[in-house]
Amino acid sequence: MSKKRERLDVIRDILKAIRENREIKPTRLLYASNLSPQMFKEYIGELLEKEFIKESTDKDDKKRFVLAKKGQDFLVEYRVIENFIENFGL
Amino acid sequence: MEIYSLIIDNKNIIKFFYALIIIAICATIVRKADRLYGLSRYKGIRYFRNAFFFYALGFIARYFISPLFSSAFTNPVFEYFFVMAGFFLVYSLIWKSVEKQNESYRSSLFNSKIFILHITALLISLTDYYFGFYGAMFFSQIILFSFASVISCRNYLRGKNKHKFLKFYFLAMLMSLFAWSLNALAFIFYEWNQGIMLNIYILNMLVFLLFLYGVIKITKNL
Repeated sequence: MSKKRERLDVIRDILKAIRENREIKPTRLLYASNLSPQMFKEYIGELLEKEFIKESTDKDDKKRFVLAKKGQDFLVEYRVIENFIENFGL
Repeated sequence: MEIYSLIIDNKNIIKFFYALIIIAICATIVRKADRLYGLSRYKGIRYFRNAFFFYALGFIARYFISPLFSSAFTNPVFEYFFVMAGFFLVYSLIWKSVEKQNESYRSSLFNSKIFILHITALLISLTDYYFGFYGAMFFSQIILFSFASVISCRNYLRGKNKHKFLKFYFLAMLMSLFAWSLNALAFIFYEWNQGIMLNIYILNMLVFLLFLYGVIKITKNL
């Protein structure tokens, strides 16, 4: 059985999926994040609240997610956080 | 021997600077860890931060408040802080085995799990207060750091090739264990022998400097 992902890893995966696509549809992001719809809603709500991601609409008025400056910074900081956790055995 | 005499003659001023440096180290670690926690909300970092917060409180109580008041009043206070610091340090290593995946608490200082640690720390400090000695604190810390040494050794063996600081962490735990054992020996058999106490101060300083080195090195890009 695969090990459950840590909260931090889920956030990284969501942000990376958005970064790789520059902008992404919610359904596609849900698929990429590999979360249940309920969990996905919670994570996206938190990321929007923290301004890690932004909502935008395309020309067909469809919702998209894009990476905000804070989200980009987080991906850089994630490496430091991960290093800290692993080096201190936390 | 002249240097040794010089140190003994000026022990109060040396103690003052020793405590001041360690408090500054703890404050730096707490600040850096708090920033990482703010970004990640990772519980292990939160407990690690709390450990150094309590160490700082312990050193303030022991070296800056104790000299101003009666030791009968201040001893249980600094003992409580030191014991809680040790608990938090070990808990930061084992929290994943204790807490469930989605378990979350608003406060990491006071919650149902940490409450048990507070009660235990209180019992330890009050036992020493009642009997007028430090035995319970020394005994608890020797057990705690023996346990921490085993866990950090296991962590080191698992990740020694990938994560360089794990060996220093293990070393820090062994040095802490040695320092607490020396403390107990100095108290039980050597009536706080100044030479032994000096070695304990050096060991403690090295442990805190090791942690500071690790924290600064890893967070330098933030």
